[in-house]
Order: sequence, then C-alpha cells, then structure tokens
Amino acid sequence: MAIKKFRITLNGVVHEVEVEEISSSSAPAPVSAAPAPVAAPAAPKAAPASPAPAAAGAKDVSAPMSGKILSIKVKAGDVIKSGDTLVILEAMKMENEIVATADGKVTSVNVTEGTNVSTGDLLIAIE
Amino acid sequence: MTTLDLQERKEKLKLGGGEKAIASQHQKGKLTARERLEKLFDENSFVETGLFVKHRCTNFGMESKEAPGEGVITGYGTVNGRLVFVSAQDFTVIGGSLGEMHAAKIVAAQNAAMKAGAPFICINDSGGARIQEGVDALTGYSQIFFNNTLASGVIPQISVIMGPCAGGAVYSPALTDFVFMVDTTSQMFITGPAVIQSVTGEQVSAEQLGGSLTHTSKSGCAHFRCADEDTCIQEIKRLLEYLPSNNMDEAPVYESDDINRIDERLNSIIPASANQSYDMLSVIRSLADQGEIMQYQENFAPNIITCFMRLGGKSVGVIANQPKHLAGCLDINASDKAARFIRTCDSFNIPLITLVDVPGFLPGTNQEYNGIIRHGAKLLYAYSEATVPMLTVITRKAFGGAYIGMCSKQLGADMVLAWPTAQIAVMGAEGAANIIFSKEIKQAENPEAKRAEKIQEYEEQMMNPYVAAARGYVDDVIEPAETRKRLISALYAFEGKKVLRPQRKHGNMPL
Repeated sequence: MAIKKFRITLNGVVHEVEVEEISSSSAPAPVSAAPAPVAAPAAPKAAPASPAPAAAGAKDVSAPMSGKILSIKVKAGDVIKSGDTLVILEAMKMENEIVATADGKVTSVNVTEGTNVSTGDLLIAIE
Repeated sequence: MTTLDLQERKEKLKLGGGEKAIASQHQKGKLTARERLEKLFDENSFVETGLFVKHRCTNFGMESKEAPGEGVITGYGTVNGRLVFVSAQDFTVIGGSLGEMHAAKIVAAQNAAMKAGAPFICINDSGGARIQEGVDALTGYSQIFFNNTLASGVIPQISVIMGPCAGGAVYSPALTDFVFMVDTTSQMFITGPAVIQSVTGEQVSAEQLGGSLTHTSKSGCAHFRCADEDTCIQEIKRLLEYLPSNNMDEAPVYESDDINRIDERLNSIIPASANQSYDMLSVIRSLADQGEIMQYQENFAPNIITCFMRLGGKSVGVIANQPKHLAGCLDINASDKAARFIRTCDSFNIPLITLVDVPGFLPGTNQEYNGIIRHGAKLLYAYSEATVPMLTVITRKAFGGAYIGMCSKQLGADMVLAWPTAQIAVMGAEGAANIIFSKEIKQAENPEAKRAEKIQEYEEQMMNPYVAAARGYVDDVIEPAETRKRLISALYAFEGKKVLRPQRKHGNMPL
C-alpha cells in the first residue's frame, strides 16, 4: 500500500500525518510492493551518472543552425583534429563546413546525407 | 635613523603575505601582485600609492590581524611610455579579500585615473568580500562599481582576472570595457560550484563553470583568453596601443607600411559559387598595416569578427561578417558582440570599418524566443549613435534588415564601397522571385522552368551593387585589390568628421 508519512508543523505544533494514495487498483497493491525495493536502489545510481555524459559530450558537435546535411566527411572510429571538417551543412543557401572544436575520435555519426537537422541536433559524437 | 625606519617599514609591507604565501601563489602557477606590476610597467616607472593604508576592523579578532598594503597594490606608471593607473589585488594577504580600506584604495586609484585622464587596469585575484567587515565590504564594492560606471566612456577600463573573482566582485569587470582571463588559473562566477550543487544538484567544476574558455566562448563575459600570465600582460600592452588615454584623446598613430598597397588576391577571394564560404579574416589581414590584427571576443559568436587593426598608421575597429560560421548570419550573440564593440570604439574615437557579407538574421524559434528583435536592435542603435568616421565595404551578400544593420549609408556610414561581387538586395533571388512572380509561376505550363527563369531574371537585374549605386547608397564600386588604399584615403578624408546630435540626457538603448 502506498502510504506516505509526512510531518507537518502547524502553529508550532508538530503533527504526523499519513497519506494514502488512492488508485483504481489500490487493493492488489501488495503484489506491486515487492518489485518496488528493486527499483529503489537503481535510483541513486542514476543520479551520479548524469554529470558524466555532460563532460564526455564536451567535444560532440551539434548543428549550429537548421539545415540539410549535404555530405559527411568522417566515419565512426576516425581520429580527428580540432578544425577538421566533419560535415557540410546546407543552410541559408550556403554550404557550411562544420568543424571539430577539439582533437578526438569519432564515436558515432548520428546523421546521414540528405537529412534535415534542427539547431542543436547532435551530428557527430566525439570522445 | 628615521630614514632607516621608513625603509624597514616599506620593505615589510612590500612583502605582502610573506614568503610562505608567496610560495603558495607560485605553486598555483600564478605571479604575485607585485611581480605582475613589474612585468606590466616600464622599468622603474611604477609609483605606489596607499602602501601604508590599514583596515580598521575590530570584529572577530581582526583588530590583531595585520594586512600589509590592505591586500591590494595601487598606483601608476608608464606602459610603453604612456601613463596608466592600476590596482592589483594581493592574494597573499588574507586571500586578497576586499574590505572597506582595500576598496578605498581601489576607489582612490580610479579617481586619480579619471582626473589624470589615463587608462585604469584592475587586476583581480581575490577570495571575495572580507566577511568580518560585513556591510562595510559591500559598501566598498558598491563604490568601485559606481566609479566603473562614471569612468565608462571617459577612460579605457581594463579588468584582468588572474585568480578567483566570485560573487558580487564580478560586476566590476562586467562594467568595464575589456576583460582578460588566464587559462586554468582564473574564474568568474556569481555563485560557485558548491552553492550550485547544494541548490540545484548540478555538478560542475570551477573551471567549467567560470573559466576562461567558458567566458570567452559561451557567456561572452570576457574578451581575451590567454595561455598564461606573461602572455596576458603582453596582450594588455598590445591592446593599450590601439587605445587613446581618454575620450578627448586620439589613439597613438604608428608608422604604416605602404598605404597604396594592392592585393591582387582579393580579386579572386570570393568563390565563383555563391554557396561557398571563404575566410573573412584573410580579407581583414590583407587590409591591415603589417597584416596585424587584435581580435576582440575571438571565440564568442565567431559568425561576426570584431578586431582592432591599423590603417595608414591609425587605430581602427573592424566589424565583419564571417561566412565560415553560421553562413555569416547575424544572431543574438553576434548582435550583442558587435554592438558593444562599436560603442567601445565610438567612446574612444576609434573609427569603424565594416565588412559586409551577410545573408540575413539567423532564422529559428530559439532566436525569436530569446529576443533577436531587441538584440539585433542594439546593432542598429550602436551604429546610428556612433559619430566616429565609419566606412563600409560590401564584399558579397547584403540582404534585407541585415544589410541595413551592417552600417549602411543611412545608419551613418560616411563612405560605402562595394566590390563587383556585391549583391545588395531586399532578399536572395530565390525567395524574391517566388514572391514577386508567384502568380506567373503558378500559371505557367512548366512552373519549375518558369521559376528558374524568373530567379535568373531577378539575379541579373538585382543581385549586384549597381542598383544601390544608382541611388547613391553605395558611393563607389571598386576593384577588391585596391580596397586598402581606398579605405585609408577615406579614413583621412573623414578624420575631422563632426556631427551634431540632439541634446538629451542619454538615449534609451535597447538592452
């Protein structure tokens, strides 16, 4: 049963309150109660993991503006240098060279030639 | 002997926080405040003021705490022979923390710089407010900020971040004209990583949050990023050479190389195909005296280039679209960057050279939602307001509102030159033809053929510099190779430019 306990202070007096969530299938709750503890330990794992992708993605190259991918100059596994052209993006009637901002290795190419992309879409993942 | 006593007193104070603190400063890869000033100023030119200033705090045991020089060195000296005032926070003295008298020293140096009409350099390396001094410390900051604002547009103000600069302290740099940062040893932020984590749960390192890379590429809060302190000091000296001492003065004139230099490469720099880009920086370098430029916010909004250079020996500010980035579109950051640079130059009588190759404002919800209208307006405002000589060269595209915004004749350009490759029009050929001839295209037997025919017709009629030149919006169409000599000639022609503006308290610039 999904009962949650709350401590509430009203005019300086502390009250303990139990709140039960009523759902359409509140009766067979004990069944779902079992897997609940399994899910719980998973949560703390997820939290510290979140900053990691942010740091790893620092070299990733995403679309600076909306447009169409004309050609892709690299493939997964390629070692690239800062300034290397990765993709030609057609936008504003211009063929824009999208270049690497850091040295690294291409881990994945997330677009294909001819796809339309929006500002911020990940084009090339680099580590 | 009293003289001996004086010497002893001075030497003791000049040691700052002492040998141990100095060693720790060096260990962090930082110079001490005194070493920084030694490198900045011409030999034996630095004159210190306020060495004997003491704090008067008696809270929390401060009455027995000595703070030699109050944790900041102030004074004046010459840099390449020109007078400059300075304050340099001394991290070895109570972490360079700012209290009432520390701030009073900085304020006194600011006042002196304003009276003397000389640039003010503020070297920041401080843990923040001296907590023991409470609201007196805050008052100190306020006075510095107020002075920064009073001095704005009167004397060049340069902030140098060479250590931590956190919390309220960041607003002094933010109010000044130029902010230098040193890679890995300097950080600026309003709230630090610890506070951010406790409040929002975000994990971020100090360098990621407020390091030189962040502020020179993402936030645009700093203008120059230097690899180390020595390079930083060299760059400050280089910048000073492009600036006058104050708003009534002119920037120093240096010896120029050949003013009639022709660069044939420019005749073929524009690619034959309109959808290819080229590097506008190489155009700028070709025009500059000795090919030398100094970029302002090089890595922030690279779709617009802002830089100082010299033409015929005179310091000028350059604003140029960079087709290599975002097709050279104007966006929010580019507008902010250029508008600020234009106003910096105009404040200090530095003429403006604008190189135009702009397809338009960057389309997108992100731009519209974040206010490209009001940000773009800053660019128009800054040009319209400026009274320095302004010269514009249109190399290729100049379309619509972006054409107007890039220092068109009506915004105040004294001379607009266009290359034969210029396309000055309300919009690109395809878009224009689709609108003007929509009925004809729809009704045609072969709409696609008709569309192509009409696009070509529009291109032939409109996509050139001659329509604008026929109205006088372009003063001359020139051979690209001779751009340098034409600019230098116009620069000297408009040297004595005088324009009158209506009397007012101040304009209401869109912000």
